Amino acid sequence: MQAFWAGLILSATGAVASADALNVVSWDGAYVKSQILGYIRDYEQASGNRVNVIQYTGGIDEIRSQSRAWNVSWEVIDLELYDAIRACNEGLLETIDLDDMPAAPDGTPARDDFINHRATPCGVANVASATVISFDPQRFETPPDALEDFFDLDVYPGKRALRKTPQGNMEWALIADGVPRDKVYDVLSTEQGLNRAFAVLNRIKPHVQWWETGQEAIRLLETEQVVMSSAYNGRVGAAIDRGESLDILWDNHVWYYDVWAIVKNGRNPDLALDFIRFASKTESLVKQVKYISYGPMRHSAVAMLDEKVRDRLPTSEAHLKTALELDAVWWSENLDRIQPRFERWLERSIMVPKALPR
Amino acid sequence: MNVIRYLVLTSASVVALSAAADQTEQDLKEQIEILKQRVEALERQQLQISEQNLGAVELAAEREATSDAEEAEEPAIHIGGALRFTTGYREEVDASVGRKGESGLDVFRFNVDGKIDDFLISAEYRFYSYMNVIHHGWVGYEFEDESQVQLGISQVPFGLLPYASHNAWYGVPYYVGLADDYDMGIKYVRSDGPWSTELAFYKNEELNDATNLDRYAFDLVREGEQQNEETNTVNGRVAYTFGKESACETEVGASIEMGQMYNATTDSNGDRYAGAAHMDSRCGRWNFQLQGTTYEYDAKDPVGVDPSVVRVGAFAGSYDIDSDADIVVANVAYNLPSPWRLIDSLTCYNDYSRLNKSIEGVNDSEINTTGCAIGSGPLFTYVDYILAKNMPYFGDGSLAGGGENDWQGRFNINIGYYW
Repeated sequence: MQAFWAGLILSATGAVASADALNVVSWDGAYVKSQILGYIRDYEQASGNRVNVIQYTGGIDEIRSQSRAWNVSWEVIDLELYDAIRACNEGLLETIDLDDMPAAPDGTPARDDFINHRATPCGVANVASATVISFDPQRFETPPDALEDFFDLDVYPGKRALRKTPQGNMEWALIADGVPRDKVYDVLSTEQGLNRAFAVLNRIKPHVQWWETGQEAIRLLETEQVVMSSAYNGRVGAAIDRGESLDILWDNHVWYYDVWAIVKNGRNPDLALDFIRFASKTESLVKQVKYISYGPMRHSAVAMLDEKVRDRLPTSEAHLKTALELDAVWWSENLDRIQPRFERWLERSIMVPKALPR
Repeated sequence: MNVIRYLVLTSASVVALSAAADQTEQDLKEQIEILKQRVEALERQQLQISEQNLGAVELAAEREATSDAEEAEEPAIHIGGALRFTTGYREEVDASVGRKGESGLDVFRFNVDGKIDDFLISAEYRFYSYMNVIHHGWVGYEFEDESQVQLGISQVPFGLLPYASHNAWYGVPYYVGLADDYDMGIKYVRSDGPWSTELAFYKNEELNDATNLDRYAFDLVREGEQQNEETNTVNGRVAYTFGKESACETEVGASIEMGQMYNATTDSNGDRYAGAAHMDSRCGRWNFQLQGTTYEYDAKDPVGVDPSVVRVGAFAGSYDIDSDADIVVANVAYNLPSPWRLIDSLTCYNDYSRLNKSIEGVNDSEINTTGCAIGSGPLFTYVDYILAKNMPYFGDGSLAGGGENDWQGRFNINIGYYW
């Protein structure tokens, strides 16, 4: 009889206690590896839930389509901040209360422990990364030491690679053309400024190979298809750690941070929140840094890092001196204006077309 | 919602009452509390679903997304076309100078291109103000190795392809019928890495009526005492591309054309041949084109007809060309980067070609076109300045004898909308 009632209770409470599966969307390569080894496996062990990690390359089109169709398979997603702001504004993401996040080990409430103000109520900041210039120093007599060198085809001839998005590239083009860092977004807000950025990119366009995933950038460098490339600093760090001859040019690196978000209209927002809570723990972020040089977005996590490790981060004092913070709010407001133009610009043939319309 | 609440709470009550004898009161309270929380969560979720299901905005957006997906599917057969206007200023024509230029319809054309399974179709029909003509039209089959066979009116594979110039007015090869020519026959096209090979047999010119001058491409025509027409022509073209699919491609190739020419007056066949070697280098933003061509027509004309010329025709007109001549083509183009939002492509060029004639005592013909082709979305515009010496359509210019032997200029703008 006792067993019968115990069984009835268990079945009634099954939804709460049983193991579940969660789809988490993130990026590729060393970054997702750092998340899996940093806390996703720990979360699976602690919660008994299974996490399926799905790879993507940015943007919010798929989120929009899933959320609007109420057919959400991307339940939790690691978004670039400007995408999170845009998706949040479109009502595609759940709001997340920072008070729901775990406090720091010393008891400091999460709200006071997270770095930076919250740019969106729909995301919880995880790590800060940077887009830097990387190259193999052995291929140069005098390796490049400034951003301008990336755009200087006379001194540094050869192919170079850039991410196939306007973000970061437009800023670099203007800085290389003499615009001070603190004026970049003012200039880029004007039609003339935008034209100026495209004109600079035009100069190197025939020599540019475009990449979409962080791993592609590393592969282009490793296989010597390009002499230098923009790349995520963490990916370069991971490649160096496994013995690749690569170096990082920190001059004018563009730094930003990603956020965890929950796609609206999913089946299990509570489980999604439970995962984010775990992933955002100070200990989780500290463990992630073991596998990739990205800066945790919690004061308590940064404080727990070894000084040598802190120095490798894009947010170290030395690196920030010549850094540009990607203005995610600006991009969230301007991406829809600039992205179509950028794509149209990309499609423009470099070579004389084989046949002009007759 | 109420059903869920009822079932779970009833179950909880039964559990609570019946198990009282076996379990501590504290355990039961905890279980009930968990169940209550679960019920509240389910109620919240249910309410949210009901409210959001009514969201007219989302439903509209959903419909929009569905229709977008439908639109994204590529049709097997694509219908396209173009509407082009031309405006110009002919320095040698008094009326044009007096009116300070002229403008009018250039062409309105329809295109059909597609592939169903491995069967191909490509056709184009053109409407001019003075004639309506088929430009090309063939059906084909694509084999597993992506080689193709085309049956119908197809482009003759000879020399620089698809065109021996960058501008819309073309150069000497076009006006002697050795560029952008279309005839009726069968063509086989294949690529093997850097090699491309084309073999063709053309039974005759595209209309099977050499007296009809309403045609797009120049062919031998039967007009006046000149009664020759093209028959039984074999074409072969081989090209090799250095640096294929790199940023610097250079194609070198050779072409040959051999065929008969039937004379309707003498009812006998003469011979004709043409050969060409070409180089087409597209390196970065530059394009250099060179072509050397030689041709000879050996017609079976009746006594009294000048054998040093043959007559070609198109665009509702005809003229004579030297029956034995050489052609030189030297073109250069540069694809400028456009920093402007509305200009997608800007290709500037200088195309030069020359006919070295064999007729004693006549002047060679030359044409040089400098201009830019500007692309902006569906609009494509050519802005050219053409200088011609002894060329048809420029004063008394001729590709045989005659002509003023001085340079005559024409400013030309051709604007087209393509879809």
